[in-house]
Amino acid sequence: MGKLAYYPGCSLKGTSFEYEVSLLKILEALNIEIKEISDWNCCGASAAHSINHNLSIALPARNLAIAEKDGYDSVLAPCAACSSRLKNADYELKNDDVLKKKITNSLEMNYVPAGMSINNMLEFLIGEVGKDRIKSMVKKPLSGLKVASYYGCLLVRPPKIMQFDDAENPVTMDELVALTGAEPVDYSFKTECCGAINSLSKPDVVMALTGKVLYDIKKHGADLVVVACPLCHSNLDVRQREIERKYEEKIGLPVLFITELIGLSFGINPKDLAIDGHMVTADSVLRKIEELNNK
Amino acid sequence: MKTVINEQNRRSFSSQVESMLHDKLAKCYQCGKCSAGCPVNFEMDYTPNQIIKMTELGMEDAVLNSKTIWLCVSCNTCSTRCPKGFEVTGIMDVLREIAEKKGITSKAEKEIQMFHEVFLDNVKSNGRIFELELVGKYKLKTRHLFRDMFLAPKMLEKGKLKMQGEKISGLNQIAKIFKDFE
Repeated sequence: MGKLAYYPGCSLKGTSFEYEVSLLKILEALNIEIKEISDWNCCGASAAHSINHNLSIALPARNLAIAEKDGYDSVLAPCAACSSRLKNADYELKNDDVLKKKITNSLEMNYVPAGMSINNMLEFLIGEVGKDRIKSMVKKPLSGLKVASYYGCLLVRPPKIMQFDDAENPVTMDELVALTGAEPVDYSFKTECCGAINSLSKPDVVMALTGKVLYDIKKHGADLVVVACPLCHSNLDVRQREIERKYEEKIGLPVLFITELIGLSFGINPKDLAIDGHMVTADSVLRKIEELNNK
Repeated sequence: MKTVINEQNRRSFSSQVESMLHDKLAKCYQCGKCSAGCPVNFEMDYTPNQIIKMTELGMEDAVLNSKTIWLCVSCNTCSTRCPKGFEVTGIMDVLREIAEKKGITSKAEKEIQMFHEVFLDNVKSNGRIFELELVGKYKLKTRHLFRDMFLAPKMLEKGKLKMQGEKISGLNQIAKIFKDFE
């Protein structure tokens, strides 16, 4: 394993702090060291690529160039949107010399595209950490717990840039769920969009999309949902009560980050994983784990 | 609807889009697979395949003023499924960027457009997103002061809303990036 850079992105320092807390906890347990890219900036997320293409390449490129200058071989970007923007920038800089020149001139830093491996959380866990190492740390198998993995868009699409798993039927997160001893639940809308950035500007559309996903997961008998994207988490968790009111049907599905589920299987205290930080309380999940353990 | 367009204008618009997109509009054979899988098609005024054809026909005003280009959330389902490998998601970015540069404000979907603008302003002034400031400024701009406010107390209680943002030390570099590309 080479020198690992960590690109947290803005959400993990704010509304999705549970994601950062839990991922740092499990990496500590696994004895893996990652270092934040020094003075990293926002990747521009959906806003930049929506209205200014060059900006959407330049902003993530600054982070990649700093990581390269500091001698890292690999970057972990746990936020699906951040990893997607970093990969997009790397791809464009590799394939468009004119743009690359413009960008590196503006940054006043050099960058050699495709020199670094850029990983989303799932890629990092499966590729850099490895299944065996994760499995060896599972001290409290979650047998009997039914878990639906929700991938959303940006972990897998577009496949020519993401180069990760199957774009229509990904399984990596389900494999990680299985490693914890829990039972992966199959359902229809694993990669349907949650409405993403339009959460504030088009809440009704977002609730229609997210509601479709949540009710389908519920129908397939899951105890909880796991995600690897702050925006997916926000739309599924923060908006859930409102969706229940809108469609007049209870959902009550706790939404956890995959890192929290893995942390629970490692026997880490739920409080240390910030599981109490969600809007939909995860008490039902913690109770079920206790019940299953006492059986 | 007026569909007959001056040939010179038609070419200039479609070639501008093609050069920004690095793709050919003629690739699209109108199968409609993009539109069938689009998660937000139910809100759109034109389906994605219609937008492609309209761009090819040079229907600049209709395309740049459409709801569709702003409603697209860039989920990439269309591009992933396109049998011709056409950049369907990409064309939405290109059209939004042209509309933005021309100063066209979407009538029906101006809030989506404003959100993107406020978001980038926030990046420009801090280098990172300060969520509370972003939401506050967005609300002031759209005057939807109370929408979603019921979420705030619980989010605060859960520790999701940070009261203080972070500014990066390389703000001059960020300023330069914006100056060069804005």
